[in-house]
Amino acid sequence: MAQANARDAVIVGGNRIPFAKAHTAYTDVSNQDMFTSALNGLVARFGLQEQRLGAVAGGAVQKHSKNFNLMRESVLGSPLDPHTPAYDVQMACATGMEAIGSLADKIRMGRIDSAVGGGVDTISDAPIVVTDGLRSILMEANRAKTTGARLKALAKIRPGHLAPQAPGVAEPRTGLSMGDHMAITAHAWGITRGEQDELAAASHQNLAAAYDRGFFDDLITPFRGVQRDTIMRPDTTAEKLARLKPVFGRDLGDEATMTAANSTALTDGASTVLLGSEEWADEHDLPKLANFVDYELAAVDFVDGAEGLLMAPAYAAARMLARNGLTFEDFEHFEIHEAFASTVLAQMRAWEDADFCRNKLGLDRPLGRIDPARLNVNGSSLAAGHPFAATGGRVVASLAKMLHGRPGKLGFISVCAAGGQGITAIVEGR
Amino acid sequence: MRTTAAIEMPRLGAVYRRAAADAALDRLRGRGATAALPERRVVARHPGADRSDVEAYRRLLGGEAFDGTHRRSLPSVFVHTMGFPVQMGLLGSEDFPLPLMGMVHLHNEVDHRRPLTVDEPVQIRVGAEGLRPHRRGAQFDVVTEVLDDSADPTSESAEVLWRGVSTYMSRAVRLTDSEGAADGGSESAGRGSAPSASDFAPPSKTALWRLGADVGRRYAKVSGDYNPIHLSAPTAKALGMPRAIVHGMYSAARMLEGREPEEAGHRWSISFAAPVKLPSAVVFSARPAGPGATEFAGWSPKSGRPHFTGRLSLGTVGTD
Repeated sequence: MAQANARDAVIVGGNRIPFAKAHTAYTDVSNQDMFTSALNGLVARFGLQEQRLGAVAGGAVQKHSKNFNLMRESVLGSPLDPHTPAYDVQMACATGMEAIGSLADKIRMGRIDSAVGGGVDTISDAPIVVTDGLRSILMEANRAKTTGARLKALAKIRPGHLAPQAPGVAEPRTGLSMGDHMAITAHAWGITRGEQDELAAASHQNLAAAYDRGFFDDLITPFRGVQRDTIMRPDTTAEKLARLKPVFGRDLGDEATMTAANSTALTDGASTVLLGSEEWADEHDLPKLANFVDYELAAVDFVDGAEGLLMAPAYAAARMLARNGLTFEDFEHFEIHEAFASTVLAQMRAWEDADFCRNKLGLDRPLGRIDPARLNVNGSSLAAGHPFAATGGRVVASLAKMLHGRPGKLGFISVCAAGGQGITAIVEGR
Repeated sequence: MRTTAAIEMPRLGAVYRRAAADAALDRLRGRGATAALPERRVVARHPGADRSDVEAYRRLLGGEAFDGTHRRSLPSVFVHTMGFPVQMGLLGSEDFPLPLMGMVHLHNEVDHRRPLTVDEPVQIRVGAEGLRPHRRGAQFDVVTEVLDDSADPTSESAEVLWRGVSTYMSRAVRLTDSEGAADGGSESAGRGSAPSASDFAPPSKTALWRLGADVGRRYAKVSGDYNPIHLSAPTAKALGMPRAIVHGMYSAARMLEGREPEEAGHRWSISFAAPVKLPSAVVFSARPAGPGATEFAGWSPKSGRPHFTGRLSLGTVGTD
C-alpha cells in the first residue's frame, strides 16, 4: 500500500504478562524483570531459543538511569542468541507503537528479517531522583580534586535538599496533569459523563468476554501467579460507574466528567510482538497473523491550548488514510487506546466534525463516523490497564489476532502520548 | 526640562535598610504628605548582565538555554531586574515624598525596543511621574529607561533600548483630584487598572504553576529584590502580610518565558490584583488576542480570584 515495492512486514504473534494495578501484584518487580519474562514467553511460544533475531526494540517511559540498555539486558537474560542486537526507544505512551512501527519498516526495507518490538512500564518501581540542588552539590563534590574541596561542597547540603522527587505526572511545559489536559479537551468537545462511563463499562465487559472466549490464551503468559489483568471488573456497569466523583477537571464544577473509572489506572506490565518477513516466518514454520501495513506519527501545538494534548492521533489518521487511499469505512476493527474514555470519544467526535476536518485537517469532508460495534471489541486500556510503553504491543498483537484468517481485512490503531504526540497504524489480516 | 543626576548603582540592601529605618521614623513623626514627586531623574551605569546571573534566572524560570548563539537576548524581566536598584535608589532617596516600605506594585508596562545581551554595558535612567489619586491612597509611575553605554543620558533624544513603566500605589498619602491633576494625571487616566474579582471570568486554563514556599527567596536571589514580604512568612508578617507573597515580576517572568522574540521590538504589560501567597498554585491562561498578540491571566485555583492579567504584543502592534 504505502510502498508497493516493499515486502510485507508480518505480525507473527505476541506475548505479554497480565497487567497489574500499580503498587499491587508487581511491587517488587523491575522493568527488566517484566520485559524479560514477556520476552521469555514469546521465545517459548514461537520456539526462538538460540535464534539470532534482526533486532529487539522497545522501551519504558519511567526508566531508571541504570536501565540505559534495558532491551539489550533483557535479551541477554532471555534464551535468544546473545548475538541479537537490541535498542531502547522512548516516545512516552507511544513507545511500543514507535518501536514496532520502525521495526516493521526495517523488515519492509529488507534490512532485517525478524524482530521483537514491545515495551514495559512500572509505577511500583519508578525512579525516584534527588532534587536539582542536591544533584548539583553531589556533582560538584564529584568533580572536586581534594578532600577539602569535596567536604566544602558537601557542607552545602541542607535538609530541604534531601526530599526525594517522584517522577512527574505533569506535562513539563504546562504543569497540568494529563487528566486535567484531557478534561479541557473533553469539555471543549462536549463529551458527556454518560458516554464516558458507557465506554468504560464496555471496555471491562469486552475484555472479560474475550478472556472467557479464550482470546488471550495465546497472547498472555502468567507472571508471578497473576493470570489476568487485575484492573478488569467484569461485572461493572455504566450505572455503577456513574456514582463516582470526578477526579480531573474539577474546576469545571458540575461540568466535570472524568472519574477514576473512565480514566486509566496506573499500571505495571510488559508486552512483546514478534515480526518477520514472509520468508522468515515460512522458513521457521511460524504463523502469519497479519501485516503491519503503515503507521504515522503526529504532534500538536498544545502548550498554549491551540490543540488538545491528546489529539495528535486525529491528525496522524488523516495523513495516514490519505496516503493509503482509505476511509474509515474500509476498516473492520478500530483499536483506539483508552488513555481516558474521553480521549477516544474526542478523537471520534473530531473525525465526524466538518469544521475540524476542514480547518484543522484540511479535508473536504469529515473522515466520518466510527461504528462503536467495531471499537475496542476485546477491551482496551480502561479495563486492561496501561503500562505506558507496553500498550502498543498489547494492541498490535490483539488486533493481528482479530484479523487473522480474514485476508485483506483492515484494522486501525490510535495511540496518544504525552508531549502532544500520537501514532496511528494500519494492520491487514492474512 | 528635567534634570538628570548621575548616581552610583545603588545597593539594594542599603536602600531597604534605610527604608525600614524611615518607616520606623515615619511612624513616630508622620511624614509630610507633600504631593510633589522629585523632578530630577537619576541615571546609573550598569556593566552589563552577568552570564551566571542570567543562567540562574533561566534555572528558576525553566526556559531554554542562553547558549550565546540561538538565545542571546535578555528577557524583559531580567532587564527590569538590572534597573530595579536604580528605581529603588530614587524611591528610597530622602526627598522622595512617599515611603518605600508598603508600596504596592499595581502595574507594569514594558516597551522592549532593542535586544540586549550579556556583558553589554548600559545606562539606566529612572524618573518618577504622574502622581495621581488611587482609591486607597495615591499612585504614580516610575519610568525606567535603558540607554546605550555611549548615549547622553541628559538628552531627550537619546535612543531608549528598553522602557518600563512601573505603577506603584502608596497608602501614605491621599490626594484629591485637583492635586493629582496638578501633577499631570488622574486615576482614570491610563494605567494601573487591576482586574477586579467581580469582573473576572477565568478563561480556559493552559497551565498550572505550583509555587513552593521558597519561590520568593529564589527570585530574590536572581533579581536582588530582597524585600522581606517575599522572603518568608515571619518577615512578611513583620510588614503586615499573613504569608510571604511572590514577586509580581516573577509572575511576569513566567508569563513571558519562551514568548519574547530574540530581535525584541515587543511590548507587554501586566496588572496585578490579589497577591500570590506562598506556597500556592496559580492557574494560568495564555490565549491569542489578534495578530501577534497574546493575552494572559493568572488566578487562584481555590477562590477563582485573579492574581494578574497581562498582554504581549510582538512587532509594531501596540499594547494600548
